Amino acid sequence: MLDIHRRTGYLLLTVLLVQVLLISLQINTSSGTKLFQATVFGVFSQLQLGASKVFGGVRGVWDGYFDLRNVKQENDRLKDQVSQLELQLQLQQALARRGAELEQMLQLRQTTSLKTLAASVIAGDATGYFKTVTIDRGSSNGLQHDMAVISSRGVVGRIVETPSIATAKVQLLIDRSTGAGGIIERSGVGGFVQGTAVGDPPLRMDYVTNLADVKVGDRVVTSGIEGMYPQGFLIGHVETVTQGAGLHKEIRIRPVVDFRALQSVLVVLDRPTPATASPTKAPSTTASPAPTPPAAAPPVTTPPATGTPGAGPPASASPTAGSPAAAAPRTGGQR
Amino acid sequence: MKVAGVCLAIIVALALQTTVAPFLFSGQYGSVDLVLVVVVYAALQFGPAVGLLTGALAGMAQDTLSGGIIGVGGLSKTIVGFLVGVIGSQFIVAHALPRFVVLLASAAIHAVCFLGLYAVIEKQKLVISWRVTGTQILTTAVIGIILIQLIHAIPGILMRRRLRRGY
Repeated sequence: MLDIHRRTGYLLLTVLLVQVLLISLQINTSSGTKLFQATVFGVFSQLQLGASKVFGGVRGVWDGYFDLRNVKQENDRLKDQVSQLELQLQLQQALARRGAELEQMLQLRQTTSLKTLAASVIAGDATGYFKTVTIDRGSSNGLQHDMAVISSRGVVGRIVETPSIATAKVQLLIDRSTGAGGIIERSGVGGFVQGTAVGDPPLRMDYVTNLADVKVGDRVVTSGIEGMYPQGFLIGHVETVTQGAGLHKEIRIRPVVDFRALQSVLVVLDRPTPATASPTKAPSTTASPAPTPPAAAPPVTTPPATGTPGAGPPASASPTAGSPAAAAPRTGGQR
Repeated sequence: MKVAGVCLAIIVALALQTTVAPFLFSGQYGSVDLVLVVVVYAALQFGPAVGLLTGALAGMAQDTLSGGIIGVGGLSKTIVGFLVGVIGSQFIVAHALPRFVVLLASAAIHAVCFLGLYAVIEKQKLVISWRVTGTQILTTAVIGIILIQLIHAIPGILMRRRLRRGY
């Protein structure tokens, strides 16, 4: 290859030194996506698109041909399921009509629907230690940095870094360097939902005081306080609650979205209005937008990217129960 | 030719790692690091110099795609590539079992370096989920040994087929 075998020691030192310098440079960088990263991501995403199409084709053949074996039984079972769901739908429609009538009676605002864009997951994470996926929509489709990504079940994550023309990188909510303002739906207690990446369950809720009312099984929904995620979208259910050693509870949340089988997502193109800091009881919803808060919400400024990867929320960001105002996730492509 | 082969192997591993592997080895129980397998293979085949360069290149490419700090994965894989190259040049690592042990140790060293570096950078306590990390190390070693043994077996299989056709 090269005549470097005799000088392997020097070579090792040089390579290590270069990489240590590179790491140092990145830690000191204050904000923004790095050009090098954006370029490499943009180029390689095309390769990922191609590989994904090939793999998708193979999977399509597999799904379309080999999986046909139990179609008859599955079809019968699904027909039964459809009948039951139709019955449930009629009941729900009746309830919805009644709800709408009550809403009009109370002169509340009508629910506004969010403008979303469907996207397919084409690639996962390159290392396995971070929780990111690549989707087949990019800046040409109107995608921008920090747009919320949801699925039919609940919150998925947000777009990190500047999207390339045809693809974008989504940081999943379970990544350890992201988070969202969350509310315990039953009691209205607010906090900061953060990923643990390798933990089980992979989400935790921080800054909830030991005095707050939180029970196992409670639904956790987005508070929208950070102005990124729409308010009232389901994040997950409380799996464990323990009294913390300090002032705050230790809460672990099981997400409703199955991040292992994520194939299709919706990118929220509308920037939601930041919610008020008051702990309102969030509406029960599964991937359906919450009603706009009656009062005009003041804008919440998200803190700029620190450039320090994975750094936790600032020390001042310790909202008390029902006051998740300071629980704003970090922005920027930097982890 | 050797450089082109290593580069191609890294690209293929990265493509498989990001497109196929998440669907096959997905979830909270860890993943497989195919790029590390390429680094270990290159280091065993060509020695410590190629091993560390392959590790640096592959790790940095991986860092770039994952959105993490560029250099952390590169540094970890550089160390692994160098160590494996030294072991490969000092000891006989030609059979499946020694190779498996090398892969297992490489994956473990890589995980410790990678997570340790992030813990230092983030100024946080090193938190390792033993179940997830252990599964990832084991999966990488098992998949790695299968791939390496397959790569080594292919020329022999082709030769035997040619000989059979000749007779």
